[in-house]
Amino acid sequence: MQDLVGIVPWTFIAQICNLFIQAYLIKRFLFKPVNEMLEKRRQRADAEIREAETAKEEANAIKAEYEQNMLEAKDKASNILSTAQKTAQLQSESILKEASQQAAAIREKAEADIEQERQKAVNELKDEIGGIAMEIAGKVIEREISEKDHEKLIDEFIQNVGETS
Amino acid sequence: MDLEISGARVFLEVPIDVPFLGRFQLSETIVVSWIVMALITLTCIWLTRDLKEENISKRQAVAELLVETANNFVIGNMGEKFRYLIPFVAALFTTSVVSNLISLIGLRSPTADLSTEAGWAVVVFIMITSQKIKTNGVGGYLKDFTTPIPVMTPFNILSELATPISMACRHFGNILSGVVINALIYGALAVASSALLGLLPGALGKVLSQIPILDVGVPAVLSVYFDWFSGVMQAFIFCMLTVMYIANAAEESS
Repeated sequence: MQDLVGIVPWTFIAQICNLFIQAYLIKRFLFKPVNEMLEKRRQRADAEIREAETAKEEANAIKAEYEQNMLEAKDKASNILSTAQKTAQLQSESILKEASQQAAAIREKAEADIEQERQKAVNELKDEIGGIAMEIAGKVIEREISEKDHEKLIDEFIQNVGETS
Repeated sequence: MDLEISGARVFLEVPIDVPFLGRFQLSETIVVSWIVMALITLTCIWLTRDLKEENISKRQAVAELLVETANNFVIGNMGEKFRYLIPFVAALFTTSVVSNLISLIGLRSPTADLSTEAGWAVVVFIMITSQKIKTNGVGGYLKDFTTPIPVMTPFNILSELATPISMACRHFGNILSGVVINALIYGALAVASSALLGLLPGALGKVLSQIPILDVGVPAVLSVYFDWFSGVMQAFIFCMLTVMYIANAAEESS
């Protein structure tokens, strides 16, 4: 039995040794594994943050590229549209011009035809009426009219017909 | 009845006289210290079994909490450069707490032996002194004793020596007082229950008066203060003082 209050040298030394052994044991079995694990976790978190940052940068680059592409596409589209509009306008103008030319040609031709037909009709009429007139005149005056008078009469008649027609 | 409060029992004595140290005695203090160390170390091993980086178990959360608390306590009070002292302070605190509380399972606290606290206090004192010499140099350390005036030198030496003595005695006194008061309470309650039950007539009273019924439950309430509160408090105070003294010793140079 030792004293209740007192310092026993051997116990004193043993307890100092025990304290340092305990410090080593705690360091070895608690702090070392836990700190290693915490450090690993911290490194992983850092790596993940870095990864996220690179991914974000990539996404931003892609977004910028996409926007650039969109802008270019819009430009192209508006170019194409304006070109198409111009072409269409030119085409419509040329078509209209051609159409009006054609219409004018058709009309000219028609007019020439009509004139020709009229001339022809006049000539036919002239011959016919001349014959008829000769007959009638011959019957009416019952005398032979000289060739000269005859032609003069016809011309007079035709002239009158032409003016009335 | 007789009530005996004694020092640590001796289990084994080596019959060789070593000068100054005497015979080696394997005392209760040392044996229970080993039990305490085994308990702490096994708990550490159990707590840190299969640590994971994510999806952690409650066990690992406790281990991380303990490590973080120790880190914050030491680094918060002493600064980053004393990181190497974390295991020492943690060992001091856990050994102290477990030693104080092991009396709850009927073993004699190693801290109820002044040799234990004296050993710890001397270690802390050596650390404080070496830290002072490290920051101020030997000359600065010695010169520090003559401040503010040379007449104060004996008092400064006294106050320097008082540091480990007061640390050791404060801790020891609190734990020993708990042991003494617990023993007194158990004895007193045994006497009280035997007197109370002895009033019962005949053989029944004689049998029941031999059983200290009042010893069941009542001391547990008082143990909340004398063992739990006092035990944890003294461990904390001892560590706090250690940390503070060493940090102060490091700051004196600035």
